[in-house]
Amino acid sequence: MIAEALPGSEVQVLDETGSGDHLRAVVRAPQFAGKTRIDQHRMVRAAVQARMDDGSIHALSITTRPSR
Amino acid sequence: MAANPELKEKVEEVLRENRVLLFMKGTPEMPRCGFSMRVVGVLEQMGTEYGAIDVLPILDPLREVTGEISDWRTFPQLYVNGELVGGADIVEEMFESGELAEMLGVQQPDAAAAPAQPETPANPQQSPPLQVDGT
Repeated sequence: MIAEALPGSEVQVLDETGSGDHLRAVVRAPQFAGKTRIDQHRMVRAAVQARMDDGSIHALSITTRPSR
Repeated sequence: MAANPELKEKVEEVLRENRVLLFMKGTPEMPRCGFSMRVVGVLEQMGTEYGAIDVLPILDPLREVTGEISDWRTFPQLYVNGELVGGADIVEEMFESGELAEMLGVQQPDAAAAPAQPETPANPQQSPPLQVDGT
C-alpha cells in the first residue's frame, strides 16, 4: 500500500506486538526530500488510511528516512 | 464532524500565545500516556519553557480542531511557533539528531543520547483547561 502510494520507496513493516494490528513502518522514499518530518508522516499515514479506517490496523508507528 | 468554531478559535489563540505548546494526555507532572510522557521528558531535558494542554477532558472536540488546523488527530502534539512539529516519535528523533534544539534555539543537552526520562518538571506552565459552552 505504502509502496504504491510512494513509488520508489523502500518499506519495512514490523509487527511490534505480534498481533498484526500494532505496526511500525520504516519508510524510505524519494518523495520525502525537502519535506518536514510531519509532512513525511502525513504522506505515509495517508497511504494506509483505509486500513486505519476499517480497523485492520489499530496503531501505526512511522519512521521515515530520506532515500539512500 | 466539523470542529467547534469557538474551541478552534481558542486553540488558535493559545497557539499564538505559546511559542512552544504541547497537547498531551495528562499534565507534565502526571502524564497519563506513555507517548505524552516521552515528549515531556524531551522538553524537560531541553530546559525550554512550554505550555501544556491536557486534552483528556475534551478529547474528541480537540481531535476535530487539530484535524482542521494541522491534519493530525492523535496526541501528543508538539507545536513550535504555531506549527505542528510532531508526536512522540518525531520529537524523539529530532531530539536525538539535534534538530529540536536548533528549532527551539537552545543548546543540545549533553545526555542527548540517553532515554528521555521525565524528571521533576523544571518550569511547566500548565494552561487552564480549555472550556467551551455546552461541553
